[in-house]
Order: sequence, then C-alpha cells, then structure tokens
Amino acid sequence: MRQFFYIIRLLLRELADENAYARHLAVHKAEHSAEEWRRFSDARLKAKYSRAKCC
Amino acid sequence: MRRVFWIACAALSAWSLGYIATERGEPVNSIWLVTAAVCTYLIGYRFYAGWVAAKVMMLNDQRATPAERLRNGHDFEPTNKWILFGHHFAAIAGPGPLVGPTLAAQFGYLPGTLWIIIGAVLGGAVQDFIILFCSIRRDGKSLGAMARQEIGRTGGLIALVTVFLIMIILLAVVGLVVVNALKDSPWGTFTIAATMPIAIVMGVYLRYLRPGKVLECSAIGFVLILLSVFAGEWISRSAYAPWFTWSGPVLAISVILYGFAASALPVWLLLAPRDYLSTFVKLGVVFLLAVGILVAHPQLELPAFTRFVDGNGPIFGGKIFPFCFITIACGAISGFHALISSGTTPKMISSEAHAWPVGYGSMLLESFVAIMAMVAACSLQPGVFFAINSPAGVVGATPAAATATISSWGYPVTTADMDTLARDVGEKNLFYRTGGAPSLALGMAHIFSRSGGGRSIIGFWYHFAIMFEALFILTIIDAGTRVGRFMLQDLLGQMWTPLGRTSWMPGVLISSAAVVGAWGYFLYQGVLDPLGGINTLWPLFGIANQLLAAVALCVATTILVKMHRARYMWITCVPLAWLVLVCFVAGYQKIFSESPNIGFLAQADQLTTALSNGVVPAAKVAATQTQIFNARLDAVVCGVFLILVAAILVDSTRVWLRILRGHRTAELGEAPFVMTHLRPEEI
Repeated sequence: MRQFFYIIRLLLRELADENAYARHLAVHKAEHSAEEWRRFSDARLKAKYSRAKCC
Repeated sequence: MRRVFWIACAALSAWSLGYIATERGEPVNSIWLVTAAVCTYLIGYRFYAGWVAAKVMMLNDQRATPAERLRNGHDFEPTNKWILFGHHFAAIAGPGPLVGPTLAAQFGYLPGTLWIIIGAVLGGAVQDFIILFCSIRRDGKSLGAMARQEIGRTGGLIALVTVFLIMIILLAVVGLVVVNALKDSPWGTFTIAATMPIAIVMGVYLRYLRPGKVLECSAIGFVLILLSVFAGEWISRSAYAPWFTWSGPVLAISVILYGFAASALPVWLLLAPRDYLSTFVKLGVVFLLAVGILVAHPQLELPAFTRFVDGNGPIFGGKIFPFCFITIACGAISGFHALISSGTTPKMISSEAHAWPVGYGSMLLESFVAIMAMVAACSLQPGVFFAINSPAGVVGATPAAATATISSWGYPVTTADMDTLARDVGEKNLFYRTGGAPSLALGMAHIFSRSGGGRSIIGFWYHFAIMFEALFILTIIDAGTRVGRFMLQDLLGQMWTPLGRTSWMPGVLISSAAVVGAWGYFLYQGVLDPLGGINTLWPLFGIANQLLAAVALCVATTILVKMHRARYMWITCVPLAWLVLVCFVAGYQKIFSESPNIGFLAQADQLTTALSNGVVPAAKVAATQTQIFNARLDAVVCGVFLILVAAILVDSTRVWLRILRGHRTAELGEAPFVMTHLRPEEI
C-alpha cells in the first residue's frame, strides 16, 4: 500500500513537472530559485505546447 | 492456479458478452458491461498483446532505449513504468471517449459497447503499442517523421497535412460541445468563466509567488474551482443571472475570441496552469466515476438496440455500419493516440518491455473510460436521453412538440418530466442540448448522487461534470490553436521567412487569426445549424481521426514488412482494412448519400430546391444560402480527407509490394543496438 501511494505521489509530481524540474536542477547543478524555475518552465512549456493535445 | 484464473476470466468474459448481447426485454445492469469489458481486456492484454510483444515485435529489454542513450534530464529520461503509464494515459485521455459513446448510444448500448471492447483490444491498443515501439526504436521520432523515413516524402507530407486538418475540425467540434453545454446556463457559464481568472491567479502564483510549487498551486486552484461551482448556483438564482445567460452564437464568438487570446498570450499565464489543473481533475473524475459505477451499478435504461439502427437517428443520420464506428473513435481506436505514442512517451520509457503496459495497457484504460461514458448515457431514461440530444430541427421547436415526437418513437417523456429534471439540476431547460456533454453530465450526476449525497446535490454534480468536461475541452482549444499556429507558421515561413518566426508578433497574430478563423468558421456554422451541428461536425471529426489511425497503421505495417515480419502483418492490416472500409463508406455516404439527413450534397440540393421554389421565407434566404455553401464545403473537406488517405495507402502498398517482391531493399530506420546499462532499480 505504501508503495502504491509512493507511485501515486511520484505520478502527480511527474504530471506537475516537479520531477522534471528536480532533474533540471540536478543536470545543471543549479539551486532552486524563482529565476531558475522560470528558465526551466519557459523551455518546458514551449516544447510541451508545440505538440498536439489528444482528443 | 494461474491457469485456473485465466480460464475463469475467459469464461466470465464470454458469459458477460453473451449476456449483454442476447438479453432482451429486461433492463441489463451496468455491471455486466463492466465485467465483459474488464475480463476481455485482461485476456487481450495477457495473451494477444503478450504474443505480439514476444513474437512480432520481439521486445528486447537488453536494448537501451532512447531515454537511456540520449538521457539529458529534460525530454529523454528513464521513468518508472507505472508513472509513465499514468503520464501516457493522462495525455491520451480527452473528451473523445466521453462524448463519442454518448452520441453512439443513439443506436442502443450494444453496438457501441462491442465496438469499444473489440476495437480497443484488436485495433486501438495494437496501434498505440506498435507505434510506441517503432518510435522507441527510432530515437523517439514523431509519426510524421517515421512516415517520411519509412514510406517516403509524400507519406510524411500527407501525415502533416492530415494532422493539421483534423485539428481544425477537432477544435470546432469540441468548441461546439462546450457551447451547447453552456447555452442559456448561467450556472455553467459562470463556473467556466471563473476558471479563467482562477488560471491567471495560478499562473502568477506559480511564476512569482511560489515558483515551482505546481501541486500546491493546483490544489489551491481546485478548491477555488469547487467554490466557483457552488457560487454558480447562487449566481443562477440571483439578479446577476442574465449577465451569464448567453445564447449559442454569443458563446461561440466568446470561445473564438478566447481561443485567439489564449493562443497569443504567454503560455505560463493561462494555458499551462489550467492544463495542470485539468489533468488532475480529469484523472480524479475518471477514478470517481469508476467507483461510482461500482457502488451505484445503475441499470441500463436504453435498450440493446434502438429503432434508429435504421439510419434515421435524431442525433446523427446513418446506419450502425459505418456510423457507429466513426462516432466512437477515441474509445476504440484513435489516430491522435499515434501522435502521443510517438511524442513524449518513447523518450521516457526505460525498457522496451514497458511498451506493453504503457502502450497497450493505457489504451485499454481509455477504452474503459468509454465504457463508463456508455453506462452513464444509457442509465438515463430513453425519452430523456433523446429530448436532451435531439435538435429542434428534428423533433420540433417547442417542448410540447419535442416530447410528442420522442414519445411517438416509443420513448415516452413529458414536458413535466423534463421541467422537473431541469429544476433538479439548476437549469432552465434541458431540451435541444446537443453535443453529448449535458446528457453525459446528467448520467454522471445520477451515478454520483446515487453513490452518496442523494438527489439533493444532483445539481452540484451535474455542474461539476459540466465543469470537468469544459475545463479540459478549453485546454484542448488553447493548446490546439497554438499548435495549429506553429504548424501554419512553419508552412508560411517557407514563403516569407518573418512569418515563420514564433517571436515576431505580426506573424503570431496573423497565423493565430487564420487558425482561429478556420475552426471558428466551422464552430459558428455548427451553432447556427438547425440540425444541431453535431450531425455534421462529429462524423467529419470521426472520419478524420480514423483516417489518421489508418495513416499510423500504414506506417506500422511498413515497418513490420521491413522487419521481415510480413507473415504477422495481419495484426495491423486487419484493423487497417476495417478502418479504410468504414471511413471510405462513411465518407462516401456523407458526400453522396441521397438522404439529406446524411449526405452533404443532398442537403445542399434540398435547400437549393426549397430556395428556387420560394418555400424559404425572405428573412431566411441569406441563412439558407450560407447553409448550402457550408454543406458543399463539408463535402469538399470530407473528400480531401479521403483523397489524402487514399494517397498514403497507395504509397504504402507500393512500398510493401516492392519489398515483398524483392525489388526494394528493406532499409529500416532503426537506431543501432546498444546494450542497456541501467540497473534494475533504475528501470
């Protein structure tokens, strides 16, 4: 059960791009800041919304 | 023990399918549909998909995926299979599997249910699975890129143009669903209007106040949206109600203006926060509906077959074959899924073996969503179902005329029934609410209220369901318009470079206006259509979506042939042949049928004759001329779809035959084999 809720939490974080942000910080060896989030978010959203959403 | 389980599962599947297929007279409980679907999915997943994975695709978990080889911490990242399963499901789940089955319930519960189950197991899930596998083997390439690489430049170009045209029709039809759901509904309109400032507040919160806290921000947004549903009831009873009571054309213009603004605004301000919110609400409601159906297990009030199997249905014209199979697209097989299976997912998969649960399994879950929508729609009294979904042009312009017509079909309903129902859910009127969303919301509200809270809160559940549907439909409109703009700018940029720059504001505005103008035109004509618009637009969308699936299956078959798996090519060729048959028959009938209820040209001819005979009142001459033009335009659009797909089909067949006859070498565009170095815990 604990494993199930752990997966659910990770799924929600993935859908919310929070995992992707954590990976971004790790790859760029950067600290979290408002500026860093905006940099990450702009690039992420630009890629995300250049693809069609499903019907 | 395992063998006993699968034998029991197969027996239960056969028994449930047999029961729902043969039971007549007595109402059938929805649990039979759920059992038939779940057991068939389990058998299909374990045995058919397992066989395809082992024998046809020969999934190799020793082979490094693009997520490992090209890992960059952004797009390419090995991800846990269950997280990716949820991610992929959230990406493929849209309004299609909810609205399509609701509309197809016009034929009764049986045809649609069988198509959803069989179509998904043998067609839709196979398509998603194979396209995902092909994209994994090609570094996460898109469907268009794979078509270009494996079939030829023509195939790639056709895939691109088909996607663009489908998007235009898709945006128009989902816009129409929202307009018809919110027409003359101050409660619904207020709730949906409130999502815009809520999304902007979320956007500012996420950008400046608590950057990066998306889950926290979405939780706040969800609470605000729930409050707006409650506030909507107060608004609908207050003096402010007229401010939010909008007619169809006004709503259509608002949606068009909104689409234009959302396409040109910074994405973080409106689109992204609402997309986060709609994803969570969507997953939550799907889960809630599954629980609700298990708890309430409503009886199916619609019969297995209605009298409209003869093709004279009030919601859309045409017989079960081919129209049931294009009306239900996303719940059984959807070309759009091929875009997702060749989009983000192949870049995140950590082992080839995961393509089985992620590609095949997610589609089965999507199909189950369609089964739940079918249950929700069929749990309504048939008279109520047809009163909500039938346009005034078919059943009569007054409630009394509508109830008389519908009762004469053998589905009794009274104006008093409909008034009581409308009052219960906080609406003025539930007649002529075509598009599927209101009847689906009503079915869901019945299920939710029977599962807890009782009839006293059915109004809340109805508007919660409307909010849920409209929320992610509007997200599709924002995102789709933006994607359409990028595609158009790509094309225009080849004629004049500045128009291709996504940062050049005049280019952004011109291309946004062109895309919004294109889908807005179809939306507006749908709103003005006396037959409700859905009769025209949904079949066009269904044909287009299924034709895109045909394109995806052509690509998949070509790759199988090149992989020397020609003896297994029937796994893609059987659904491909079925889709080509269905789409071409449906397309032919939509263009050339002599019945004005079905054929666009017959409809145009009928109106032309009425005009020349002077039957049309002077005040309606201009509108009738527009209708004639629109019917001919729809015929042209439908014809273009068929020509495009015939071209890719011919091109693909030529490639298959040349390879099979040995005239062409089977050059596969696969990335070279690299052994995986991921540790089991990383997978």
